[in-house]
Amino acid sequence: MSAIPVTVLTGYLGAGKTTLLNRILSESHGKRFAVIVNEFGEIGIDNDLVVGADEEVFEMNNGCICYTVRGDLIRIINGLLKRKDGFDGILIETTGLADPAPVAQTFFVDPVVSKRTRMDGIVTVADARHLADRLADSHEAQEQIAFADVILLNKIDLVDEADMVVLEQRIRSMNPFARIRRTQRCEVALDEVIGLGAFDLDRILAMEPDFLGEDDHEHDQSVTSVSLRQDRALDPVAFDGWLHTLLRVQGTDLLRYKGILSFKGSDRRTVIQGVHMLADSANLGVWPAGQPRESRFVLIGRNLDGDRLRAGFAACAAP
Amino acid sequence: MTVTANPTVRRDQTQPPPRSLERHFDTGAHVVSVAVNRAGGHAAAALGDGSVWLIDLTDPQEPPAIVQAHGGVCLALARDIDGQAFLSGGDDGRLRRIVPGHAMETLAEAAGRWIDHVDACPRSRLRAHSAGRRVHLLDASGHEAMPPLEHPSTVGGLAFAPNGKRLAVAHYGGVSLWWTSRPGPPSRLEWKGSHLGVLWHPEGTHLMTTLQESGLHGWRLKDKAEMRMDGYATKIRSIAWTNRARHLATAGADSVVCWPFFGGGPWRKQPLQLGGIGDGLITAVAPHPREAVIAAGHDDGRLLIVPLDGTNPVTAAAPDGSPVSAAAWSDDGRHLLAGTEAGRLSWFPIRATKGYPAAPRPPRQ
Repeated sequence: MSAIPVTVLTGYLGAGKTTLLNRILSESHGKRFAVIVNEFGEIGIDNDLVVGADEEVFEMNNGCICYTVRGDLIRIINGLLKRKDGFDGILIETTGLADPAPVAQTFFVDPVVSKRTRMDGIVTVADARHLADRLADSHEAQEQIAFADVILLNKIDLVDEADMVVLEQRIRSMNPFARIRRTQRCEVALDEVIGLGAFDLDRILAMEPDFLGEDDHEHDQSVTSVSLRQDRALDPVAFDGWLHTLLRVQGTDLLRYKGILSFKGSDRRTVIQGVHMLADSANLGVWPAGQPRESRFVLIGRNLDGDRLRAGFAACAAP
Repeated sequence: MTVTANPTVRRDQTQPPPRSLERHFDTGAHVVSVAVNRAGGHAAAALGDGSVWLIDLTDPQEPPAIVQAHGGVCLALARDIDGQAFLSGGDDGRLRRIVPGHAMETLAEAAGRWIDHVDACPRSRLRAHSAGRRVHLLDASGHEAMPPLEHPSTVGGLAFAPNGKRLAVAHYGGVSLWWTSRPGPPSRLEWKGSHLGVLWHPEGTHLMTTLQESGLHGWRLKDKAEMRMDGYATKIRSIAWTNRARHLATAGADSVVCWPFFGGGPWRKQPLQLGGIGDGLITAVAPHPREAVIAAGHDDGRLLIVPLDGTNPVTAAAPDGSPVSAAAWSDDGRHLLAGTEAGRLSWFPIRATKGYPAAPRPPRQ
């Protein structure tokens, strides 16, 4: 039984989430989606698989780590999975003020949900006119950009090119992973938002080396990204200790992170990704011959001290 | 089939029992819940295609009757207050009363909501069902017995006390205990965490909940002494009392974990761990109502009859790859029903008394 892909649609109030949702549902793609919405009735499409959610966020505690999950999603998805007539994917629309982390974490912690479904991607719809203002005054708007795998910069017809370039640089500095797509009325090809595999560890291997780009040097914004590189192979014990401490001390600040790592004594690439304190890693494929075995680790979060992270990561290099 | 709980008889657990009388039906849909009505004449299975299958236990030749109870999925099944009927809740927001051989009735509708927890109590002649954070109590005529009961978060489970005087409702942060004869604020049993299922001790002395966090919580009501049971491999989806409530049998581990509720237990007592078969997890437990054996369903579809005395289990149903999702006995212990996620619905008629040796003594503590 293959895991059912889950796409999360986030975005500030009025950015165009419902427009995107209706667009996905009305396209003739032959796919059947279960849709979990917070405002029942906004969907213009007749679909018996539309479920209203309550956005109940609660804390879970598993030994030493604590994280928030969406209890209503666990309940709804467990119910949907019992249906005889299946579906090809799940779309979750969050409220404009929602933090995406509890939604993402839900798919890693519940035994049934994590076995039968997989996070495919987080799509954030942003109003190109107002995004800069929202990033300045809204914690949630920052998180929605920081968590995104795809960002639809919507309503671009109302913004001039110079402002768009500045906005895209700003987004890039906060979230180097995300693909940015400029849209009007959320017009976007379905495969730009569905079937991303953004949480698949093997997709991380396909990260372009230059995705690391430039670090964010604007210290006035609270969500930033830090890119770490290391040419020398890492000592596994040292790295584990460093990461463990980092997640324990700063797990709530770390929004998302991804990395490809080279460990001493291993020919295989270790891939890691995570949301807050929930990290997932695997050893995948051997390093391609003739290519440098460079470890790369990118973190998106708040209060990230780039110099300190670089020093800590550098100290993980094997002697 | 023959169920044995005799310690002197040892069987290889991979061997099927002799003279298996299993009848099974391929329903083609997830078996959400099974139950036998209070009179013992019919069994019901609530399915993931919204149908309820009714099996006439008095007539092995009769094919199951299929009632299309809900639009999408049956989410909950309970025995109603009388001897014959079942109640089922579904994702179409309907609460149905199903009497074998009669037309189905709709007792309640909650537009746009799911009715996912249902219970009924013959002593107080009340039914309770939840939709979201709200619980409705219906009297025997189907009218609301009091204004809806509101909770701080979505209801995870509900159950009437055995004497019918109280209703326990599990939710995030603990359990609300309501009086069923009068409205009024509930008393709260608090414990941080998401409480899913709730189960009363048959004497009404203890209340147990299953948690999202792979464990159990419980309270002894006279002094609110708390108990925590953890160390489980996964979320516990099934708990039940063994005969005379000596043990609480639980799923969620690689064996049937049975907590002793005698001799000062469960505090500072080790549980029995029975019927493990290696890596697989127990997904459903149904203790026999009179004998010291437990029907235990595994995540590979295997159904074992596990004696509490630690002797070898007997295989009732062979593994077929799909987790056992529900199991229940008739009150007289003459019929065992079980179902799997893939839709296998099994019925085991147990031969009358001769099949059982005397129940063994409980283990010494």
